[in-house]
Amino acid sequence: MAAPETQLMLSIGLIEKDVNADTLWVWCYPSVSAELREVLLSKCCLTQDSQGLNTFVTFSVQEPSALKKVTHFSLVVTAKDFNPEKYAAFSRVLCRMYIKHGSPVKMVEGYIAVLTKGICQSDENGSFLIKDYDVRKAYLAGSVKDVVSQFGMETIILYTALMLKKRIVVHHPRIEALLEFTRALPALTWHRKDWSILHPYVHLADSELENLRTCTGYVAGFVDPQVSNRPDLFDVYVNLPDTEITVSQSAKEAMAMGKLHKDIGLVIVQSAEDADRTDGQVIKDISIKTREILANLASLAEDCENSKITLETLKQRHFPPATENFLFHLAAAEQLLKI
Amino acid sequence: MDEVDKILIHSLRQTGTDVGKDVQSVKHFTSELIVEAVVRCLRVIDPALGSGLCPSLPPGMSARFRVGMSLAQACQDLGYKGEIGYQTFLYSNEPEIRSLLMFLVEKLPRESAEASDQPAGKSALLQKSIAAQIKAQLALPWLSPSCRLPLLCKTQNPGPSHSFHSQTLSLPHCLKVPGKRQLKGKPQNTQDPQENDYHRDFLPPVTAQPSQHASVPASLLEQHAGELSAAQEWENEWNSQGLLSRLTPEEYRSRKRARLQKRIEEQLRTAAQTRPDTLGAHGSGSDLTELLQSFGGSPLIGDILAKGTRFTHTEKFTFTEEPEKAAKQMAAAANSLPSSHQSEEDLQARQQEELASLQQQLQQLSLSLEEVGGDMRQLTVSIHQVSDELKQKELSNTEEEDSVRVKKQTIYLLPDGENNLAKLQALVEGSAERVVNLAAQWEKHRAPLIDEHRRLKELCSNQAMESSRKLSEIKELHEKISQSAEEAKKKEGLYKQLITEFENLPKDISRSAYTARILEIVGNIRKQKEEITKILSDTKELQKEINSLTGKLDRTFAVTDELVFKDAKKDESVRKSYKYLAALHENCTQLIQTIEDTGTIMREIRDLEEQIETENGKKTVSNLEKILEDYKAIRQENSALAAKIREA
Repeated sequence: MAAPETQLMLSIGLIEKDVNADTLWVWCYPSVSAELREVLLSKCCLTQDSQGLNTFVTFSVQEPSALKKVTHFSLVVTAKDFNPEKYAAFSRVLCRMYIKHGSPVKMVEGYIAVLTKGICQSDENGSFLIKDYDVRKAYLAGSVKDVVSQFGMETIILYTALMLKKRIVVHHPRIEALLEFTRALPALTWHRKDWSILHPYVHLADSELENLRTCTGYVAGFVDPQVSNRPDLFDVYVNLPDTEITVSQSAKEAMAMGKLHKDIGLVIVQSAEDADRTDGQVIKDISIKTREILANLASLAEDCENSKITLETLKQRHFPPATENFLFHLAAAEQLLKI
Repeated sequence: MDEVDKILIHSLRQTGTDVGKDVQSVKHFTSELIVEAVVRCLRVIDPALGSGLCPSLPPGMSARFRVGMSLAQACQDLGYKGEIGYQTFLYSNEPEIRSLLMFLVEKLPRESAEASDQPAGKSALLQKSIAAQIKAQLALPWLSPSCRLPLLCKTQNPGPSHSFHSQTLSLPHCLKVPGKRQLKGKPQNTQDPQENDYHRDFLPPVTAQPSQHASVPASLLEQHAGELSAAQEWENEWNSQGLLSRLTPEEYRSRKRARLQKRIEEQLRTAAQTRPDTLGAHGSGSDLTELLQSFGGSPLIGDILAKGTRFTHTEKFTFTEEPEKAAKQMAAAANSLPSSHQSEEDLQARQQEELASLQQQLQQLSLSLEEVGGDMRQLTVSIHQVSDELKQKELSNTEEEDSVRVKKQTIYLLPDGENNLAKLQALVEGSAERVVNLAAQWEKHRAPLIDEHRRLKELCSNQAMESSRKLSEIKELHEKISQSAEEAKKKEGLYKQLITEFENLPKDISRSAYTARILEIVGNIRKQKEEITKILSDTKELQKEINSLTGKLDRTFAVTDELVFKDAKKDESVRKSYKYLAALHENCTQLIQTIEDTGTIMREIRDLEEQIETENGKKTVSNLEKILEDYKAIRQENSALAAKIREA
């Protein structure tokens, strides 16, 4: 029994758009809280696969089908982990079942089958197996090479921001581009393997922003260009269509960069430009460099009392000021700083 | 002809020509009268043309001649197509004069056209009378104050005019505040009693409110204009957008207010945050954020900004302290400034000391600044770290709790491993089946409810469409009603105005008689035209017959001639008959010729008779006599002038 994996799925739900142009949340299992329902309602409808902690698949209903009066419907799968391909495939299977039978009962059967056995019969050829979809593959599916090719040396800003657990906001008018781009960013800090900082599709609604504010560092994607007028929401603002990265005033001091960053930047750019290396290898190169820095920091920490670094210890080493600043903040991010 | 003459004389009288009461027709016009009439008409038609001409004939012959020529020229310039020269005026005859005068009278500008273009309505009349008054006043020449008559004093003094100062007035029935609509019937009951008392006992009347009496009309006008425009704008907005939104007026207004407030907030926020990040700006930024906080709608924004400003507040506070201290020290230093008996060196030394101490202080301040800055950074960073740790710990906590729970239960079941495993699987399958069952049952309940919901929604939207359609119909009807009401009002105003005008019009000419006669004449002409066409067609018919008969005759004669001539060579009697035939033919042709000639001559006689009549009317004989006399007079004048020249 693939117990730990299946427990990752929390619920599935169905949103329909009918002939009255009304969007309704018609069915869910086991249950979805009201606020979450609101949030998901605002995000669905004409959204294709979105990743992160939710997955939607939208289908438009063609005649003849068992569903009357429904023009489009969206299936929502909420889960704890980040594996868009797995959930997309699963959702497609469930959606086809729904279209064919017109009732969610079949979907529940499929869902429970996956929950209990990790496998689900699909009406098409073959079946859906959970173990086909490894989470590492999902992590690696984002293309770091594309990111580097778009931003060049400025990728180091993104790297620094991610390492220091800062708040990055990405804007692009099309959601697919947003999803593609943002899923690659957490790969720059491979040693943490933390994709929970990724919120690829956020609206400028109070409830969602409240949610964002409780996280210390995040990568948030917005389709709304108004977000550039909200410097309270980000430390780094990435304008994808114009390929611009801006650092907000309040974070400029923390994100000051020096020789160390230049080195890292060069490594990243060189590794990505090398046509023979795959995405995985590029990520590996970056993580090697990251590990060096962290090892350095850890050695510094060992010398101090309690294995915690203080600003004085850093000052004693007489690093150049940008590097010192960076190491100081990095220590805080890696929880090596004395409080 | 009488009627025509009467109309002409009437029009000439209107232009100012002094036509005597006994002159009833154009036949009796003298040369002087003709000249006067023509000149006055010209003056009315085209003042530039007529201004150079004098209405009275001068006594001298050559001068008369000249006047006649210039008048003729002027009339030709106007476009008179007939033959005209000095003789038309000096030696006139009736038909020419009549046609000239008719041409001129037709050229007179029509006053009636203007009146019909003017808009009706009381305000238009008021404006017209104001314009007329002002025109009249402007037409008066300006005289210096000492020469002015008292009447002119009033209008030409700068005294009555004031510059436009207006002040805000306070009225109890003030409609400027939206939402507090006060019905006209009960002005005071909807307000609170204190306000009522104030309005009743203390508020001075409107004419006493402005500080200067002269600004009362200006203030009243402005107040009224403001209220009027506000009311009109509200009307327009309500009729265009308010009705569509289907809210009550109060709801619509409150929604609009909330919308505007939100926009103002956003604008202020963006303005506050685009300021450069200097120390000085922090102070003003915090003022602005306090302002934003007071809007109340977004405590979050205030928190975020307050986080920053807490530190800036402390900064600001320390800085305000320092400048105060420094200022105090400066004051102390200033007090201890040298009086006049202290020496220069002491002065310099003292100044150096002060400089040194101030510099020290500066250094201290900057040190403390740095320290505080460093502390701040440290604290922010550690806050980040701690909150991060906290989150992570919480997450791992929940995970571990879950796993502990599962493991506890597994341990519990561990002893009897195999069995329990089988039991668990059976349990799982059973629950799965149950869940599916329940889902099916739920579906049975859910589907009809969803269908019902959809059906009702459809119904609702259909009704909404219906109601919006009806609303638009109602709006159209309203518009039509208002339009027709306006038109009716306008027409009534116009009618009243025209009635008064009609009553004021002079009754000396009866239009209806003229129009009746004109219509009669038109009918007559139509009948005559018909008769003429009939006669013409008859004539054509006759001519055709004549032609065909002549042709027939010729052909018959030709044939007969040939026939008889052939036989004439042989027979004597045939020759005789041939001669008789030829004679007959010739005589008949002569007859026909004579008849035709008679007809032509009769026509000529008629023409000549007509010409005689016209010539008779021209009073040529008397004109010739006059011409001879004038010729003699001109010769005399010429010789007199020549003599004068020889003498000089």
